[in-house]
Amino acid sequence: MSLWETIKSAWQSIFANKMRSSLTMLGIVIGVCAVVLLVSIGQGFQTSMTTTFNNMGASALYVSGSRSKTVTIVRPLTMDDAEALTNKKLAPSISVVSPSMQSNVTVQYGTNSATVQASGVTPVVTQIKNYQIDKGRFLTDLDGENKLSVIVLGYQTTQDLFGTESPIGKYVRVAGGKFQVIGTLQKLGGMGGDSYILMPLATMQARITGGTDLQQIAVKASSSDLVDLAIAEITAILRARHYIATGAADDFQITDMRETLTSMQSTLQTFSLFMGAVGAISLVVGGIGIMNIMLVSVTERTREIGIRKAIGARRRDILLQFLIEAAALSLTGGLVGLLLAVGGAALMGHITLGSLSVKPEISGTIVLIALSVSVATGLLSGTYPAFNAARLDPIESLRHE
Amino acid sequence: MIELQNVSKIYDLGEIKVTGLDDISFSCEEGEMISIMGPSGSGKSTMMNILGCLDRPTSGTYLLDGDNVSKLSDDQLARVRNKKLGFVFQSYNLLPKIDALANVELPLIYSGQDHRHERASKALEAVGIAQRANHLPAEMSGGEKQRVAIARALINDPRVILADEPTGNLDTATSHSIMDLLTDLNKKGITVVIVTHEEDIATYTQRTIYVRDGKITEEKRR
Ligand SMILES: Nc1ncnc2c1ncn2[C@@H]1O[C@H](COP(=O)(O)OP(=O)(O)O)[C@@H](O)[C@H]1O
Ligand SMILES: [Mg+2]
Repeated sequence: MSLWETIKSAWQSIFANKMRSSLTMLGIVIGVCAVVLLVSIGQGFQTSMTTTFNNMGASALYVSGSRSKTVTIVRPLTMDDAEALTNKKLAPSISVVSPSMQSNVTVQYGTNSATVQASGVTPVVTQIKNYQIDKGRFLTDLDGENKLSVIVLGYQTTQDLFGTESPIGKYVRVAGGKFQVIGTLQKLGGMGGDSYILMPLATMQARITGGTDLQQIAVKASSSDLVDLAIAEITAILRARHYIATGAADDFQITDMRETLTSMQSTLQTFSLFMGAVGAISLVVGGIGIMNIMLVSVTERTREIGIRKAIGARRRDILLQFLIEAAALSLTGGLVGLLLAVGGAALMGHITLGSLSVKPEISGTIVLIALSVSVATGLLSGTYPAFNAARLDPIESLRHE
Repeated sequence: MIELQNVSKIYDLGEIKVTGLDDISFSCEEGEMISIMGPSGSGKSTMMNILGCLDRPTSGTYLLDGDNVSKLSDDQLARVRNKKLGFVFQSYNLLPKIDALANVELPLIYSGQDHRHERASKALEAVGIAQRANHLPAEMSGGEKQRVAIARALINDPRVILADEPTGNLDTATSHSIMDLLTDLNKKGITVVIVTHEEDIATYTQRTIYVRDGKITEEKRR
């Protein structure tokens, strides 16, 4: 009997028992749907993370005030601290120092308004973050020296405030004050998203936050081999400047993006392991369901098997018939599960995982794996029932019922 | 064509052993049409199953067309059933969920042959039931079902047709028309062996073998 004939008759038999077939498939449907969705979320997570780190620069170090509870006195970081880090003698391993101040503000243009993060930065920030000018120009040293009320808009903020209108040269209200838009930025994606505005650090301090304190100093080592040395240099300089006694804890903290990357990757690995387990369990359950139904089916169809054998079906014909039937059942379940997952992923759009905005990605590889796994599940769970069927004695089978 | 030499069949039920056939020897020439008669439980079906290669003798030799088939493997027996033999059952044994045409096609599928539709249609025509080709077995009368079963038995051009009480479930008129059909097939050269309860069915055949308690007790030629 040809494979094609077998597949055709497998379909006939699946369709003949629609209700039962669909219930049997349910396990596989849920299993495949869960696995594909979870894997695609994992993949989206990975992409989002990679984008984030590319935007931030993986070799960047972020210095900020200590958040440790055991440190009671925390001197805020200042412009002078940032200045000190640029000292080539004391800090030979540091190439970029980018001080910044952040604050949440409301930006208004006409009737449109958005609450975004405002960052006061110096032009050197572009050497840390992947800001790409879309229209207009970026901030300059001159803007800062003159404390000009100018801002650059993040991609999403541009959309929210201006839509299709051209923003360059327009005036907007930021925290009540009047600011002129001098540039817009391209889409960044990843963590943090694109809802933000940038202004000169000096302007920020003068008009919004007041004082000369900094929230953060981003530092880049001269090369990726020198990151550890750079950390040592920052620590030495800031401890001295903050009068920290030997043995006392730092009143600042240095976040190494490499470590963050590693820890996020291990989170992702745990997540993958978890979803693998969920998928495996549901597929096993689905497989047992198929085996169970195939065993019932073999018993019910004993007479049919007897008739087929009487007119010339060999063991392998019967074996193949039931194997293909199990595989087709499982594959159909897999296809339905896959479609549900694709639909689910589309419905979900963007979801937020921690601080990441994640868009599930369904790749060809996942589709291929999902379908082959469902066929394999069917074949595996169909083997025992199919062998039972193939072994039946024709006379005994014909006497059945 | 068919030759049984000292064939016995013993059913081993663990505690007890039931004798189905007890040292039977018998032969049937090519082109013959014979009948087997005997009371219920005498071993007629056991004999037909062995002749039909659905079962193997416990001892003895079965020569089909000169070949010893008593020692063939399951799959080899399946081949023989598919190619050389056509089996007709009392209870028709059609697959209930597929139509008459598809039922007749089945043996062709297992022998991997082409033009199945055409050949199956011709076979249905040959047994006078072409108009029922697309009906399910449940939509047909007993006589019609038996004709479909005969068409299925004929599809691979077998040398022998074995029919175990083919008229057992049919009324008298239908029984006679089925016997006419089998007689026609025999006239075309096919060897026919039938099992029956009824003397007037046996009169269609050239020779009758009487069986009792697994033994041949008598033989009658017409
Ligand atoms: N599969 C079997 N297992 C046990 N005994 C059987 C089996 N098949 C037939 N027999 C016994 O063999 C004897 C002959 O049966 P069978 O050939 O069916 O008789 P008939 O067809 O002449 O009515 C009976 O005693 C029957 O009970
Ligand atoms: Mg019988």
